[in-house]
Amino acid sequence: MATTALEHELKEMIIETLELEDVTPDDIDPEEPLFVEGLGLDSIDALELGLALQKRYGITLESEAESSRQHFANLKSLAALVESRRQK
Amino acid sequence: MADLYLHDWRGWTPHRVADGEPRLDTRDKPAGTAVPSMLRRRLNLVGRAVCDMLAAIDPDADSLVLHASRHGDGERTLEMLYGLDEGEPLSPARFGLSVHNATVGVYSIASGNRRSQQAIAASGGEWAALIAESRGYLADHHSSLVVIFSDQPVPPRFAAYAPESFSAAVALRLGREPVEGARRLTETPMAVDDPTLQPLDIIDWLMGLRQRVACPMSRRGWQLANLPS
Repeated sequence: MATTALEHELKEMIIETLELEDVTPDDIDPEEPLFVEGLGLDSIDALELGLALQKRYGITLESEAESSRQHFANLKSLAALVESRRQK
Repeated sequence: MADLYLHDWRGWTPHRVADGEPRLDTRDKPAGTAVPSMLRRRLNLVGRAVCDMLAAIDPDADSLVLHASRHGDGERTLEMLYGLDEGEPLSPARFGLSVHNATVGVYSIASGNRRSQQAIAASGGEWAALIAESRGYLADHHSSLVVIFSDQPVPPRFAAYAPESFSAAVALRLGREPVEGARRLTETPMAVDDPTLQPLDIIDWLMGLRQRVACPMSRRGWQLANLPS
């Protein structure tokens, strides 16, 4: 499945923001989980990612855990969040 | 005062030549392979060196660990303060790793070491503090422990306020009793005007490049002696 330009942008943002060593954009499958399994990110990464989304796209995530879990499920859901809520 | 015994040591600094000494790592960038990459990414160079040395000197991950550093991760901590002043949000990852016990915390997660760990900053008296704390633990029924002393250069805009410092880290296993290959560590009162002790000085001392180290703040000096075989 082809990666969209926004997905690619998000992959680069994730690698740069979270200082992922030895990970390239190609290593991130848009449909694989970002957290725990899949890419293996942790709760501090979630906070860091939330901050990056705020800085780059002006998106402020609600503190309600379930919706954040859905937004952060994988790269596709993250891209959908950015597409629908970006301010810049 | 009872003698201590130096059982083993490891060091890291790019500012010295190993000269055949296998216990000294002089690479610019330590491998950091003791810690999985998802944890390693959050460590700075000194932190990576410390974790590698701990894995080498405490392979069973079952030792008490005392870690002293005068400045800690000054780069992260001080830059965060400037960021706050400019109204920037804090990076959670950087904040988490800016605390003084961050490196040994990462090491304990990676290695599974659940023994006591202590982080020390002593305004230039780090080495004396490490030895004093070691004596306390060793008197409290522990036969040996690991002490770490590490530091890195102070961020440039604060450099004028601190002695010039170099990236270096050293890990020593100290014990109450001698073991094969150990050296006796003697401590004596010594009023000196020496510069503040840094990790690089301890490496030089362990390498035999200087006969003693001394702490002007605590007015104590230390020497190493080989034991009769």
